[in-house]
Amino acid sequence: MRIENKSIREINSLFQKKEIKPSELYKQVFENTAQSESVLHAHLKLFEEDNLNKVKLSDERYIKNKSLGLLDGIPIAIKDNINLKGYETTCSSKMLSNYISPYSATVINKLDEQQVLYTGKTNLDEFAMGSSTENSAYGLTRNPWNTECVPGGSSGGSAASVAARSSIAALGSDTGGSIRQPASFCGLVGFKPTYGTVSRFGLIAFASSLDQIGPITKYVDDTRIIYHSIRGFDPKDATSVSDKPVIIPSNKTAKVGVIKELMEEGVSEDAKNEVEKIIKLLKAQGIEVIEVSLPLIKLAISIYYLIAPAECSANLARFDGVRYGLRADGKTSYEMMERTRAQGFGSEVKRRILLGTYALSAGYFDAYYGKALLARKKMIDEFNQIFKQVDYLISPTTPTQAFKAGEKTSNPLEMYMSDLCTIPANLAGLPSISIPTGLSKEKLPLGVQIISKALTDDSLLDFSEMIEKEVAFKEEPSDWIK
Amino acid sequence: MQYNPTIGIETHVELKTNSKMFCRCKVVDTEEPNVSLCPTCLGLPGALPVPNKKAIEFITLLALSTNCKITKQGMFHRKNYFYPDLPKNYQISQFDLPVGINGSLKIVLNDQEAEVAIERVHMEEDTGKSTHMGTGRIDSATSTALDFNRSGVPLVEIVTKPVLKTSLEAVAYIEELRQLVLDLGISEGKLEKGNLRFDANISVANSESDVLGTKVEIKNMNSLRSLERAIDYEIERQIKALNNGEIIAQETRHWDEGKEVTKPMRSKEGSADYRYFSDPDIPNMVLDEEFVNIIKSKMPKLPYQKRLELMQTGLSIGEANILSKSNDWIVKLFQDVYSTTKNSSSTYNWITGELQGQMRKVEINELPSWFKADSLSEIINLIESNKISFSSGKVILAALLVKNVTPYDVAKEQNLFQENDSEKILQIVKNVITENSEVVVRIKNGEDKLIGFLVGLIIKSSGGSINPSIAKDLLSKELEE
Amino acid sequence: MSNQFDIDNVSKLASIELEETEKNKLSQDLSIILEHVQAISNLEFDISVDEVFIHPLEKQLNLQEDVVEEFLTHEEALSNAPESKDGKFVVPPSME
Repeated sequence: MRIENKSIREINSLFQKKEIKPSELYKQVFENTAQSESVLHAHLKLFEEDNLNKVKLSDERYIKNKSLGLLDGIPIAIKDNINLKGYETTCSSKMLSNYISPYSATVINKLDEQQVLYTGKTNLDEFAMGSSTENSAYGLTRNPWNTECVPGGSSGGSAASVAARSSIAALGSDTGGSIRQPASFCGLVGFKPTYGTVSRFGLIAFASSLDQIGPITKYVDDTRIIYHSIRGFDPKDATSVSDKPVIIPSNKTAKVGVIKELMEEGVSEDAKNEVEKIIKLLKAQGIEVIEVSLPLIKLAISIYYLIAPAECSANLARFDGVRYGLRADGKTSYEMMERTRAQGFGSEVKRRILLGTYALSAGYFDAYYGKALLARKKMIDEFNQIFKQVDYLISPTTPTQAFKAGEKTSNPLEMYMSDLCTIPANLAGLPSISIPTGLSKEKLPLGVQIISKALTDDSLLDFSEMIEKEVAFKEEPSDWIK
Repeated sequence: MQYNPTIGIETHVELKTNSKMFCRCKVVDTEEPNVSLCPTCLGLPGALPVPNKKAIEFITLLALSTNCKITKQGMFHRKNYFYPDLPKNYQISQFDLPVGINGSLKIVLNDQEAEVAIERVHMEEDTGKSTHMGTGRIDSATSTALDFNRSGVPLVEIVTKPVLKTSLEAVAYIEELRQLVLDLGISEGKLEKGNLRFDANISVANSESDVLGTKVEIKNMNSLRSLERAIDYEIERQIKALNNGEIIAQETRHWDEGKEVTKPMRSKEGSADYRYFSDPDIPNMVLDEEFVNIIKSKMPKLPYQKRLELMQTGLSIGEANILSKSNDWIVKLFQDVYSTTKNSSSTYNWITGELQGQMRKVEINELPSWFKADSLSEIINLIESNKISFSSGKVILAALLVKNVTPYDVAKEQNLFQENDSEKILQIVKNVITENSEVVVRIKNGEDKLIGFLVGLIIKSSGGSINPSIAKDLLSKELEE
Repeated sequence: MSNQFDIDNVSKLASIELEETEKNKLSQDLSIILEHVQAISNLEFDISVDEVFIHPLEKQLNLQEDVVEEFLTHEEALSNAPESKDGKFVVPPSME
């Protein structure tokens, strides 16, 4: 097996045994990038030259048996809404085309402890708003499995980078499915941790109460290794939690619920079949699987499209041309700010800012944003009730396989529907993972989503790894690997 | 027609913390711009706010000291508006769940105690500072320069209910509030530095009506004097307008310090829709009983309590009020001197009048290290027991401020002890009468003011040591005979 | 409730200048989205907004000690400024 197809633990063991050096793997992933990048456009910036010294030092550490951890020398791509000191953080927006962050996100500081090699900053939907990576001011990213298709979004660049073996793993951010949906579209593992377990400090906020950083990897174990490296209480993030992980059964004694509302209309037969396949597999293991109902999930998209835009309307107010980023001309400060924001933001970002502004404005707050908060609270209560009966919830990750570029750009609502299955976990702050389970007739990857209760991330990963082993999904987007 | 004014005051007090409200940047007092910044207070992408514990303690302390009900489960809200000196273009504030609500503050007005009802006490963060550059006139600026050192500095806002009636009441309220934050140790309390900033909401209504008039907000009053004048001006303006049959517009007006008038501000600020919503970056803040009890245990003596204590010495509420708003050392000096003189009135007068006057004259702000409370007590006691004259007391005090001596030494050295022996004084009086028989005749003919002339001669011929009141009594008696 | 979307007022509040064609397109899009989310505004709940925790895990706030830390240098703070002079950020006049 080619080294870049191996798991992080396997690679690390080869490094330790000195059978291969970090610099060789590093060279290999950039060779892969050279072949695919011009077609896929997964990255906004590649750091190949910047790391040459860092790679050498990693080689030396392994020679001296003094490596800094499992991630020492592992090439990882970073979504371009996570700040890396001294580098551009554009969020795929014209607004930040020239912005250089003077500080690193907490997750980056944590990965730095193991001297991770950052391969580059990956493309995304502008400010993480979108489900296809088509809303990028710097051009769209294509799906390595079929370049006519989108890689999903908003972490589409991160998913495409890992799928094309331009990096061993990538960091993404997930507000309504932005890690899990592209992971599913690209045949990868995508994990959104429990809200608050990974610091958001340095992640450019879209919707603060929903955003969470997480990994996109080929294997569940890779996800575990990265998650364990980036999680932890951060005094710089008031929403960060210090609670200990909660352990629930992750073997045959586990109980699984199938979410009835996500197996109905609006979800393709392909997607449902994948879930059925996994149910059969679980039952064969002797695991109890029951159907459960969470009625408010039907309202999840409506709740989300009030809460996320409301939060983003304030979060993105700071982009005004005063202290950094794009500045347009104007006779007064106010004119300058209005024009900067007109020129700097793309249409999806404007749409959401305006929607959120409206939902919070005088006379509409109670009917829109206020009601959404209440509905969200009730939905969380429904989840809490269900988790008294089952340990894990299973559903499709996405209603369909990857769609074609341009297919949904004219109708925003249709695009929003592609997050139908992933949004509920963000609203409830729950850990949720997408694992690849098979290919469609069109040879596009499909995945299933598993959700568990807050803080049971470790058990969720163990349980997912068990399914991963049973499914034995070995397909690759082979065009790019040869 | 008779009109009644109603005034409400909103005060922002800058808190005396080391670091800012939501980040760990130092609170600095410097002209050097943009030197205490981090991603959070500069509103950089990806930065997050974490509230300062000390600031919340300070705000709770203020809320408790104004008898507010503490909101057990508080929230932080985003107040959204675009302004270049507001880095995030929203201000983190508290909207419907402030730290404290429904309190009151005891003030002294016209030598009587009064109470001002407090609506709410809540946290806010400060903005950056704009300097308008250009031709000098504010409305013809060519650009605006921004310094964000002040951005994110913690403020507490105290809002009164619309209960004040006069500008003097408003001034007394601010004076009391200023003393309160100083005594609580939560603010430097310097008006000239903008540590306390106030806006006034003013309305006037027909005295026969139960309904308040239209509220006008007045901003930009930088001193107690401008607060007083702006309120007086605005009340008069509104009454005049109503008498002319005009309708008062609900608006924000700006106090023009130079012209001493209020002027309407741009409508942009008045019509704002702030779209308050709970800040998703900051979880609910729980101020439970345990926390509140800890804060309560840190409560120092409050100004009104200090006043009551001082009044027990016999001072009037007005005197006690002035003293309670003086520097700590003055209050301490009063207490120490009073403990030996047991004469609150003369102790008060010597300290607030003569001592502070002389200190101003020699341009010192604090007492010299050798100056002891006992020395002042001694001066007062010497006067009370007629051993020296009142004016000799002033001379001794002056000497004490410049060198390390005792009142006794000064009195001795400068021959200030008085002759109180009536026999001896009578002899001198008799001599003076004999020597000035013409003057005596004129006095008897009604020229009373010449009595003083004779007293002067008597004191002079004794070398200045005679008790003037005894001399005067004896002289009067002799002249009558 | 009507979904009449006052695009001029909303764009002013959001400080985004819009061209006429953009206004029409956005109004249309937003009306469709609002139509979809309408279902929520008709619901009745037995709780009030003040009872809802901000944190989805219902975490309470941990406050930070009042300790000073240095973060950005003066140069770093101004490094991205579109315009600056004498150590200050400069913008077109903010007094109209």
